[in-house]
Amino acid sequence: MAKSEVAAGSRRTLMDMFVEGARRGWNIATTNMMPNVIMAFVLIQALKVTGLLDIIGKVFGPVMALWGLPGEAAAVLVASFMSMGGGVGVAASLYTAKKLSGADITVLMPAIFLMGALVQYMGRCLGTAEVDSRYWSHIIAICVINALLAMWVMRAILIFF
Amino acid sequence: MNKEHLLQTDEKVTWVSYAALLFAIVFFSGIFSTAKGWLQVLDFTVLQGSFGTIGEGGKEVFRGSGGTGARDGFLFALTLMPSVILALGVISVVEGLGGLAAAQKLMSPLLKPLIGIPGICGLALIASLQSTDAGAGMTKTLYESGAITDDERTVFATFQISADATITNYFSSGAALFAFLGTPIIVPFVVILVFKIVGANLMRLYLKKVGQKTKNSPAAA
Repeated sequence: MAKSEVAAGSRRTLMDMFVEGARRGWNIATTNMMPNVIMAFVLIQALKVTGLLDIIGKVFGPVMALWGLPGEAAAVLVASFMSMGGGVGVAASLYTAKKLSGADITVLMPAIFLMGALVQYMGRCLGTAEVDSRYWSHIIAICVINALLAMWVMRAILIFF
Repeated sequence: MNKEHLLQTDEKVTWVSYAALLFAIVFFSGIFSTAKGWLQVLDFTVLQGSFGTIGEGGKEVFRGSGGTGARDGFLFALTLMPSVILALGVISVVEGLGGLAAAQKLMSPLLKPLIGIPGICGLALIASLQSTDAGAGMTKTLYESGAITDDERTVFATFQISADATITNYFSSGAALFAFLGTPIIVPFVVILVFKIVGANLMRLYLKKVGQKTKNSPAAA
């Protein structure tokens, strides 16, 4: 394939580099982002038609109010824990459903990643690096603490925008 | 993976590398998003452009409004794809020009004071910002080659796993939310990096507190 020839030499042009990255972007977008977004939109639709979304909003309202967020934001955090794409998708569909505002999304943004995809990253990061399994629970707890603290920081930063 | 390769990057860091890094920061920071004239070419949202509009009054893009469920999700994802493709294309150029190697060089002396891990972890750290698996694999090798202790590995892994593969995930999945953000794109990204460091230090403090004896890693590998 011509691609490997180009990659091997040092004469890779900026266009080659861009196209290579763009191709990766296409692959991630189609195989990862889109399925996750569709999953999240279907999930929110299902929660909406069953009335569960309103219940989630009410139940988690008082907790999420700590960060000035509506209760539905809890769904974003739970989904993030499973997968970052899922968390992003749930956030986007809640925005579309007018349950979250732009400011809410901004507050949630770092948290989605800081506690994101921990279910799979336990294996892929901690497992691969062979981190002492005694500390896994502590590490997961720290990720969640990171996320919760970051939401307050984002809330504070938003004051300046 | 070749072990020597982990300890030093063979990439030369030149002024081009620093320029590429600076460009990346400026490009995603949104500084020039409202600039007049040629400077706006230095902005992600400007190069991203906009969709043409359809419908009466030309107010809607092809996604329309009021959609729900899988169909709306599909069209929404479609509206995001150009951002993901553009972002990863630009990051690839920055990487190809040595921008990430420059970041590594700038960061290496800071690793000890900031996270408590030796500067030799710089390459693995930069790799972990792009790929979870690459970062974790290199960390394992760093431990096995005796470059870091068991505790340092635990702290480093804590840094990595919180918002793992930060650059890749933030600029691909995260692109779905860029349009709704109330701050420049780079602000939540910086907050993420800061908290990765905070998290690593929480682990560092914890390990210190439990008085875990630092096991020196085996010299053989």
